[in-house]
Amino acid sequence: MIRVESLYQKKGSFSLKGINLALSEGEYVTVLGPSGAGKTMLLEIIMGLHRPESGRVFLNGAEVTNLPPERRGISYLPQDLAIFPHLSVRDNILFGARMKGMKRSEIVSLFVELTRLLNLEGVIGRKHISTLSSGEKQRVALARALMTRPVLLLLDEPLSALDAFIKRQLQIKLREINRTVGTTIIHVTHDREEAFMLGGKIAVMINGKIEQVGNGDDLYYRPVALPVAQFLLNNCNIFKVKMIGNLPDGNFYLNGDLPLIVAARDEIKPGDHVYAGIRPEEVMVIRSDRPFSSPIMENQFDCLVIDILKKGGTNSVFVKPAGKEVTIEMELPTYAFQDLSIRIGEHIMVSLKKKSLWVLPDQDRQPVKFSEQTETAKKIKKIF
Amino acid sequence: MNSLREATFRIGIFSPLVILVVYFLLLGLAQGPFFDSTEFVKTLGSQEILFPLKISLITATIATLLATAVALPAAYALSRFNFTGKYLIDTFLDIPIVLSPIALGTLILMALNTAIGRSIELRGVSISYSLGGIVVAQFTIIVAMSVRLLKAVFDEINPRFEQVARVLGCSAHGAFFRVSLPLAKKGILASFVLAWARAIGEFGATVTVAGTIRGKTETIPTSIYLAMAGADLNRVVILITILVIISFSVLLLIRIIAGVKS
Repeated sequence: MIRVESLYQKKGSFSLKGINLALSEGEYVTVLGPSGAGKTMLLEIIMGLHRPESGRVFLNGAEVTNLPPERRGISYLPQDLAIFPHLSVRDNILFGARMKGMKRSEIVSLFVELTRLLNLEGVIGRKHISTLSSGEKQRVALARALMTRPVLLLLDEPLSALDAFIKRQLQIKLREINRTVGTTIIHVTHDREEAFMLGGKIAVMINGKIEQVGNGDDLYYRPVALPVAQFLLNNCNIFKVKMIGNLPDGNFYLNGDLPLIVAARDEIKPGDHVYAGIRPEEVMVIRSDRPFSSPIMENQFDCLVIDILKKGGTNSVFVKPAGKEVTIEMELPTYAFQDLSIRIGEHIMVSLKKKSLWVLPDQDRQPVKFSEQTETAKKIKKIF
Repeated sequence: MNSLREATFRIGIFSPLVILVVYFLLLGLAQGPFFDSTEFVKTLGSQEILFPLKISLITATIATLLATAVALPAAYALSRFNFTGKYLIDTFLDIPIVLSPIALGTLILMALNTAIGRSIELRGVSISYSLGGIVVAQFTIIVAMSVRLLKAVFDEINPRFEQVARVLGCSAHGAFFRVSLPLAKKGILASFVLAWARAIGEFGATVTVAGTIRGKTETIPTSIYLAMAGADLNRVVILITILVIISFSVLLLIRIIAGVKS
């Protein structure tokens, strides 16, 4: 349906490096990456606002690389919405449909359908867009984009400025539109949670390059490149280790920041320098009063609790393994956290589950610096 | 202690403001000894006043319309597009703003003496020492200023509006006329008014190009000059008062248009 082939574009010191991306009709793809990764530049090339230095864009099998934006049949919802302040709410919504010369009967029926779908019946009579709430503005801009029956809808961080409640409502609405209207969507965001929540395919874009495309589980358990792992984990729980050798049971033994046992894999051999990592949710606390099952037999560490961040439903616990310089972050549901009665300064046993550890080759790449960091990441930086 | 510092700070800030207002009020009141109310009412309706007023209003309006028509697309080009030599052109257009009006007027006269200038006048377009000359002089003085003002207006409009309009089906000129221009409406109006006010008050270039021929090329400022030369202080007072009223009304109008509350 849409195919982007070997797209190159340079702007100042930044460049898009051979972007390839393909979407089927009705698919919802989220392009996830930190600020400055080139996500907006990619969208602007797809919609025709910039011509790429090389590479091609196809829509429904036809090449559109040199077509002007108005002839591509695409709609666009930018981060700042760009609702026209000189037009009424109704004229804003109808702007694209009128420009495209759609039939009056089609405009009327689609207008009624979209205002109902997006709960805009109460605001369509308003003269000034300044009277709309932020959520209403978001829905008006979305209705305007959908009024042209686009073959492709491009969303550039449209929910980033909203509060959590309205954001969640609109995320649900976007999924509903994708399912019911069947619009093909490329949604750009730097918000990992949003990307996972929206479902569908996720393309992780870092420093002008799409590093990995897959579903949430692929990214969660099997990052294929170190920058992807660093971005998804906020640079936490990533350990620099060296492959020491095979164990009698076939597992690999690694040592460096931490001594680790991981399942055997083809891509590494003794002497290789690699990175191993684990998601905070996969780090287990071992309770002395309960027998432990086989998945947590290996990679156990006696750790000192150095900090706790309470986040409502979950808690981030930062621990330091005895005699090691690294810090491990754990994410515990509040009920488990309360049950375990963890306190700063106490010692606990933790296990890095063998099957949850991923291993990536050391590509001699400098750790990627992300300009957008979560509060957790900032806190971790403080700890160090 | 804090309140004393606060009061000292306020006095330091407001004193120059008060001094400035008093200074200009005194300048205005300096006309007092020369003001004769009977003579004022009598002269106000005379051709001596009405003619330069009419010429000033007509030429300033034509010059401002022409300047805005040229400056609007030029300012949009400078604001929205990147091209080779953009900064050079941008800087070059500042020169007429900083150059003395008499110097600009002299350059116009010199240009009229070239082959191109002579061919224009030979085709019946009268510029030197004529009403056309007043319009050309005022246009030359205000056009660069209009470009600067209008560029600032377009710079303030987020290009994202045009981009969204393009994606929604507008051509480049469609996005300009349907989105950029309506959004720039207030700014264009404010720029027009300011340029018009500058044209009304223009003296140096006008007097150089069109002279001060009584009953032919007299504008309000050149008429003040003529009246001063003839020691006709009553006429000077009336003309200055008219100029002050026009300037104040226009500047107040700009503030109302721009929605700025003082």
